[in-house]
Amino acid sequence: MTEPILSVRDLTVSFGTRLGRARVVNGLSYDVEPGETLAIVGESGSGKSVSSLALLQLLPTPPARVEGEARFHGDDLLAMEDDEIRSVRGNRIAMIFQDPMTSLNPVRTVGYQLIEPLKMHMGLDAASARNRAIDLLDLVGIPSAAERVDDYPHQFSGGMRQRVMIAMGIACNPDLLIADEATTALDVTTQAQILDEIGRLQSELGLSVIWITHDLGVVAGIADRVVVLYGGAIMEEAAVDPLYEERRHPYTRALLASLPVPGADRPNRLRAIPGLPPDPTRMPPGCPFAPRCAHAQESCSQQAPELREAGEAHLVACHFDPEELYA
Amino acid sequence: MTSGDEGLARGAQASDPSHDAGAPIAEHRSRTHATVETVLRNRLAVAGLVILAVLVLAAIIGPWVIPYEINEIDIANRLTGPSTDHWFGTDELGRDVFSRVVVGARVSLVVGFVAVGIALILGVPIGLISGFYGGATDSTLMRFMDILFSLPAILLAIAILAVLGPGIVNAMIAIGIVYTPIFARITRGSVLTIRQSVFVRAAESLGATNNRILRTHILPNVMAPIIVQTSLSLAFAILAEAALSFLGLGVQPPEPAWGRMLAEGRSFFEQAPWMAIFPGLAIVLTVMAFNFVGDGLRDALDPQQRSVIESRGVG
Repeated sequence: MTEPILSVRDLTVSFGTRLGRARVVNGLSYDVEPGETLAIVGESGSGKSVSSLALLQLLPTPPARVEGEARFHGDDLLAMEDDEIRSVRGNRIAMIFQDPMTSLNPVRTVGYQLIEPLKMHMGLDAASARNRAIDLLDLVGIPSAAERVDDYPHQFSGGMRQRVMIAMGIACNPDLLIADEATTALDVTTQAQILDEIGRLQSELGLSVIWITHDLGVVAGIADRVVVLYGGAIMEEAAVDPLYEERRHPYTRALLASLPVPGADRPNRLRAIPGLPPDPTRMPPGCPFAPRCAHAQESCSQQAPELREAGEAHLVACHFDPEELYA
Repeated sequence: MTSGDEGLARGAQASDPSHDAGAPIAEHRSRTHATVETVLRNRLAVAGLVILAVLVLAAIIGPWVIPYEINEIDIANRLTGPSTDHWFGTDELGRDVFSRVVVGARVSLVVGFVAVGIALILGVPIGLISGFYGGATDSTLMRFMDILFSLPAILLAIAILAVLGPGIVNAMIAIGIVYTPIFARITRGSVLTIRQSVFVRAAESLGATNNRILRTHILPNVMAPIIVQTSLSLAFAILAEAALSFLGLGVQPPEPAWGRMLAEGRSFFEQAPWMAIFPGLAIVLTVMAFNFVGDGLRDALDPQQRSVIESRGVG
């Protein structure tokens, strides 16, 4: 097996609040292999965005406190000086954000914003940066790129803007692309196109992708491996097929049960998970999911389960085996 | 691109209220263009612009077109009322009030622009740094601005002039310092909003330096309220200069300045009211003109400012 290009160990992020320290990410560890797509799945407040922002030191510190280690090609991202991390951002690790409508500066042309990272990281002169910008727009499927390059963001539709964001992301040939809910704000048709586009670029450029989403449908379509996050900790991690088939963790099971099943004989009611995610200032002492878990036992609220091997490359943080729970 | 995709793009465009329905996508309507158009539709703003154009013209070519030398003394014709020879009458030394008012526009405009320029150069960077870096930097800078802001403007200007000594250059510096906190506050307020935008975070995630983010992403997005405030501050600065000159702290005689002429006319108000009325009218017109233009600009720029900038947190 090859070396992972990113290996995150014991990543912990907490924020100082008036109600005490809020632990939003709790000892998160995962690896990203070259060329693979890792999906990080979780509901709002599970720490999925915060953990990825922390990787690039994009959280304001204070109030955030980031601990742990994130080795990217062997160098710890979290220990880098300002200059070093800045030369990684956009250059070797790029990030795409959720809302394409606000991710672009309204007063600058799309071309200007595309050229910026090219000049910064690759030292291109104005003319060749412009040409590269046009090539990139072309690459992400924007028609008549040579004309559109001088347009302003408001002249693009949402899907087009997200394509522009992707073009900015891949501008400097990064090794890793972090897509934070990159298709959530788009309608399904556009979403499918963007997913295809990223898949194509990935095979063309040999890119690794961390795909952060709450949309399990998207995950099934694109991910190689899935990390299910809840309350800032991993509940289950596995390759995409075993995860969907075995659903070892009660949280994974509940999440999947809350999805509509297409083609079901009769309309089935969606089963919502009762309750709310835990308040990060008052994390339950045991398993973070215990208060909402249909299968919780007394021990669950007292002791947090360790992440343990439950099959080949299949990790689960639950005291129980599925055979015991779902009999 | 598939035809379906194209339809999608067009649909999104048509529902965008900033676009005229049915206008082709390629049609350019830049923001500057739209702003100018909105301002020109406002009658008061146009009136203001016309008055300002006349003033600027007077300031530039005034000395060559006036009927009399500004310091030409003609004791025989002192304190004569408006006539075809002397449109605005003469003062206590027989100098032509019209000529002096025309040339006085020069002082007022120069002092106004330079003073506001100083306030911009000091205030905008302070606001940018304060709003962007926050924390102790912000508190220190803004508390200092608050101290300046809490003192009455004219009193503060007089105090500064007491230290620097009277004169036109010092008056510009004093007025500039007095108006710095306004620009610092307005800039900081807008920066706080823009700072939270996704595109600023996106620029950061692409490796942009703070300096670059401030210059290329934040500054252009906070310009609208600064432009509006600039034109309103010009009116205040001209008024402040008039007040300082009235008190004898600004322009020194025999240079003509509206504030000074007002002060000189005061002693002769019963015999020769035109000495004070005409420079007074000039001040009123100028201040009104800047206010009209400022209001027009605000109407044109502010609603856009509100809808364009939306701040979003992270999920």
